[in-house]
Amino acid sequence: MEDRIHAHGAERPTLSIRDLSVEFPKREGAVKVVDKVSLDVWPREIVGVIGESGSGKTLTSLAALRLLPKRAQATGSIKLGERSILDLSERDMRGLRGDRLAFIPQDAMRSLNPTMRVGRQIGEPLVLHRKTPWKQAVDAAAKLLKSVHVRDAEDRIRNYPHNFSGGMQQRAMIAMGLALEPELLIADEPTTALDVTVQAQVLKLLKEIRDSHGTSILFITHDLGVVAELCDWVYVMYRGRIVEEGTVRRIFTTPREDYTRMLLAATPTIFDQRAELS
Amino acid sequence: MSLSGLDPQTRFDFGRWRLVIIGGLLVGLVLAAAIFAPWIAPYSPLEFDVVEMLQPPSTAHWLGTDELGRDVLSRAIYAARISMQVALLAVTVGLVGGTLIGTIAAYFGGWVDAILMRTMDLLFSFPAILLAVVLMASLGNSVWNAMIAIGLVFIPGFSRLARASTQSVLRQQYVEAARTIGMSDVQIIFREILPNIVAPLLVEAAVAFAYAVLLESALSFLGLGAQPPDASWGNMLSTGRGFMAQAPWLSLVPGMAMFICVLGFNLLGDGLRDVFDPHMRH
Amino acid sequence: MFRFLLARLAAFALTLLAASAVLFVTINVLPGSAAKSALGINATPQAIQRFEAERGLDRPLWEQYGEWLGRTLQGDFGTSFQNSVAVGPDLLKRLPVTLELAVLAFLIANLIALPLGALAARKHGKGLDRSVTFLATILGAVPNFWLATLLVLVFTLTLRWLPPGGFTPFAADPLMNLKQMIMPALSLGLVSSALLIRIMRASMLEILSSDFIRTAEAKGANARTVVMRHALRNALIPYLNVAAVEFGFLFGSVVVIEDIFRLPGLGSFVLVGIINRDYPVLLAGALAITVFVLVVNLVVDIAAGLLDPRQVKGRHA
Repeated sequence: MEDRIHAHGAERPTLSIRDLSVEFPKREGAVKVVDKVSLDVWPREIVGVIGESGSGKTLTSLAALRLLPKRAQATGSIKLGERSILDLSERDMRGLRGDRLAFIPQDAMRSLNPTMRVGRQIGEPLVLHRKTPWKQAVDAAAKLLKSVHVRDAEDRIRNYPHNFSGGMQQRAMIAMGLALEPELLIADEPTTALDVTVQAQVLKLLKEIRDSHGTSILFITHDLGVVAELCDWVYVMYRGRIVEEGTVRRIFTTPREDYTRMLLAATPTIFDQRAELS
Repeated sequence: MSLSGLDPQTRFDFGRWRLVIIGGLLVGLVLAAAIFAPWIAPYSPLEFDVVEMLQPPSTAHWLGTDELGRDVLSRAIYAARISMQVALLAVTVGLVGGTLIGTIAAYFGGWVDAILMRTMDLLFSFPAILLAVVLMASLGNSVWNAMIAIGLVFIPGFSRLARASTQSVLRQQYVEAARTIGMSDVQIIFREILPNIVAPLLVEAAVAFAYAVLLESALSFLGLGAQPPDASWGNMLSTGRGFMAQAPWLSLVPGMAMFICVLGFNLLGDGLRDVFDPHMRH
Repeated sequence: MFRFLLARLAAFALTLLAASAVLFVTINVLPGSAAKSALGINATPQAIQRFEAERGLDRPLWEQYGEWLGRTLQGDFGTSFQNSVAVGPDLLKRLPVTLELAVLAFLIANLIALPLGALAARKHGKGLDRSVTFLATILGAVPNFWLATLLVLVFTLTLRWLPPGGFTPFAADPLMNLKQMIMPALSLGLVSSALLIRIMRASMLEILSSDFIRTAEAKGANARTVVMRHALRNALIPYLNVAAVEFGFLFGSVVVIEDIFRLPGLGSFVLVGIINRDYPVLLAGALAITVFVLVVNLVVDIAAGLLDPRQVKGRHA
């Protein structure tokens, strides 16, 4: 068994999902889109969940936030530290969202309110959870933007999202997620829509965040290259189930499942390069 | 669960055809009254008997009589005839005229499009009733002129829809394909474009019917449409107002008839929209 | 920003000019009827000819329009064919009446539609949503002049709470003014609100399914904050555009409503003009109403542009 280093010395995982199933009731019968998924994210760990579209990876992450579509039904157990997410009242859950648990979605442009200035959006978690006055929250937003390496942050906070480039928008989303120094960042394909160079910068940024803040990151993606670059531990998902897990190195060099092998075969160059680098 | 998980396309789940059925029934009721008026109306709408005037609903006169002793039920039924005739002609004029203009504008584009649509936009900026009233001033007061006036008022609305629908059809491949095999413009318009823009136009037509009934009633209410002694819901309502204290049924009946008719067409339009494409926007 | 406003104003002016031409041509196209109406059906052809010559009605349409336009731009709206009274002052007196009616009606419509529409969207699929939509469907099918009649039936004839019509200026007697305006405003406002409820609901539903709403929730915002702070402003943009069109229809209806409640406004002015074939009156009234509607459309257009930072170029901070 490979060594899950980050599990050492920590009492419990930051996020612990056990037998999570998500069903959608349909006229013909319920459709199970997530089937008894179990995964852990330890402190200071960057965990990747890799799979194709439709594998259920996004829904798994939304379940952890309790932001599933109305018709969906989730069963199983999700624990953030000691708290049992699925048992919390909506009010308590709201207290966690944005504060202990932050979400970085895929399409930053669409995930930003087009009629609200960026500074206010980034500072909003402070207003929501710490009752910070708006002016102070916006000042804090400038600092947050600076910390994610956006230049001229002081001016940028007064901009609207459409004035930002794609990469900047994603950074703004990350800044928003970091506002209250959460325990866990859930990132759903945050780099998929970005250019390769911008992507590299964002990945670097995420690693910095983990290193400096100790934030755990659950990173959802379909891109093996990103996983190889960023993650300490990987879960492979297929058709709603976890088919394999392990360190990046182990998975890439000695995949055990057919599906994993298929995934790796689809991107041979990276497979070779990354195997050497890690 | 989250607000953001809401699906804007989820309807009531009444069943896709429910609205169409209910709307269709109401419309059918009105149409039946209009078509079979001479057979279903118990009295002639013009036959008056001053002795019987302003009688409340009774077994002899189910909906009472008006100020000249005429049977209200019969008049309401014949009024349905007028409303349906006006609506039919007006919607036809609007639909045909609008579709022609909109399709041509979208198909040929360029300055043809610009000129046509600018004119349509201009006409569209007038409130419908005002435009209809002004047209009536020009044409003169009669039911026929009301049909024409309302029809003209509808043309800009239909032309916009036809243009938008045609534009989305033009983006599809099959129009290019048709052109490469040598089809003429006219052929393309009739064989490829028109059949594919029928659905949204039909929905709009249903709603336009409702609007036409309202406009016709408003015009005859003002004395500009159907002229006495002909019965129209509008002019029945207008004369009824003078006798509100003694004979409230004179105000209730024509209004109720209008309401049923408009509701029916509105439901029909909504239902058709849902049936053809539950994802269609307003 | 400046360019945006300028462009809108220029378009407005052009549209207004074109509209006046359309109205003028439509009204004056058929010869003879104005004279007959003023002089009576037994008027001799010579009398008719003289009548028309005096008013320049025998000249080509082109010329007539040009002359009319010149006069109107200087504030002279001509004189009535019926009683040779100057049209301008009368028009001005009637303006505030219609203004008050339209504003009240529109206010009522939006005060009902915005909260109900937003509420129905929030409770999508549940009982409240269905009830609101049902109510809106039913209300939207009621002809506003029938509603007016019903209101008079109930509140004037039965309950004797409100007067049947007439107009007292607000400055003279505010209470009486409101009593006289409430039924006309309700007849227009309630029926308009039906459509607006559905538009607000649809717009809100569309916005609520957006990604940025999910972001707001992911930050821990409650439903109320999500709607008020994030959804509302975005939902208002398309809503306002439809509301402006609906206002146009509402405004057109003043012709009927003012007749019912004997309000001396622009609507009844138009009616008088058409019944008497009094062209200067009809033209002035119709033009005034059109100007009104165009102005409102312009204002709404600008407002929507202000709400949406993506619309206005150069709007960075």
